[in-house]
Amino acid sequence: MLEGAFVDRKKLTYIMLAFAGIATLVGFLLAFFVAAPAQMLRTLDSGKGAIIGGGFVSNPIDFGQKIFYFHVPVAIASFAVFFFTAFYGVRFLMTRDRIYDTKSRIATEVTLIFVVLTMITGDLWTRWAWGVWWTWEPRLTTYFIMMLLVIGYFVLRASVEDEERRAVYAAAFGIIAFLDAPLSFAITRIVPAGSEAHPVVIGVPGGLDGSQLAAFLISMFGMIAFGYVIYQLRYREERAKERLEVLKTALED
Amino acid sequence: MDPVTKEIFAQVAPALPFVIAVYAALWLGLMVYVSVVLSRLGKLERQLVLVEETVAKRG
Repeated sequence: MLEGAFVDRKKLTYIMLAFAGIATLVGFLLAFFVAAPAQMLRTLDSGKGAIIGGGFVSNPIDFGQKIFYFHVPVAIASFAVFFFTAFYGVRFLMTRDRIYDTKSRIATEVTLIFVVLTMITGDLWTRWAWGVWWTWEPRLTTYFIMMLLVIGYFVLRASVEDEERRAVYAAAFGIIAFLDAPLSFAITRIVPAGSEAHPVVIGVPGGLDGSQLAAFLISMFGMIAFGYVIYQLRYREERAKERLEVLKTALED
Repeated sequence: MDPVTKEIFAQVAPALPFVIAVYAALWLGLMVYVSVVLSRLGKLERQLVLVEETVAKRG
C-alpha cells in the first residue's frame, strides 16, 4: 500500500514536471505573442508617440512589463511554498516527528530559489520602469526582509549543533518568518500609493484583460507546479540520503 | 501574428531580444536546476538499490 502510494507520488511528480514545463513555456509565448496588443491598448495615455497599425499611438508598448508574466507567478509561488515552511514547522512542534523538520527545511530551500528569481526579475523591472536598481518602496522592502528571513533560517540551522534544538528553533523561526509573506503581499493595498508604488493589478478593477489574465494564470499554475516538483524531488533525495546512511551503518556493523 | 502585433514588435525590436533573453535564461535556469536534482536523485537511488542488495545478501 505504502509502496503503491510512493510510486503514485513519483508518477505525479513527473506528470507535474511535464505540466510545469509546458505551462510556463506556453505562458511565455502567450505573454509575448498574444497578450501584447491588449497591453498596447492599456498604455495609450503617456509619453512618446509612434505610428502603429496605421494610427498614432502615444505610448507603443511597455515591454518591460512582459517580465510581469514571470515575476508575479514566481513571487506567488514563493509565498505558496513558504506557507509549507510554516505549516510543517507547526506540524513538527505538535508531533516532534523529524520528518516534518526535513519537509519544512526543503520547503524553505524551494522558497529561497523562488525568492531569488523574484528579486532578479523584480530588479530588472524596477530598472526599466523606475530607472533605478533598488528603492525602499514598501513591497520591495517587505519582500527584501522576507529574503533575509529565508537566508536567516539557514544561518540559524547552521549555527545550532544539537539536532533536536536545531529543529525546534528552525520550526519556530520558520513560523514567525512566514508572517512577513502575507504582509508583503498585502502591503501595496495597505500603504497609500506614491510615485514609486508597486503596481497592483490582481483583484482590482481593470487590472488584467482576458488575454493578459490567460497568460498570467497559465504561467502561475506552471510555476506553482514547478514548486511542487522541486519540493518532491528534493524530498525524495533527502529521504534516499537518510536511508543510504542507515544502510551503510548497518553494513559497517 | 496579426499585422498590428507585428508592427508593435518591429517598433520595439531593439529592446525585445533582451527581454526575451532574460525571460528565457531564467526559465532555462529553472529547468537546469530540476535536471541537476533529477540526475542527483537517479544516482542516489541506484546507489540505494546496490546497498540494499548487499544488506539483503548479508542478512
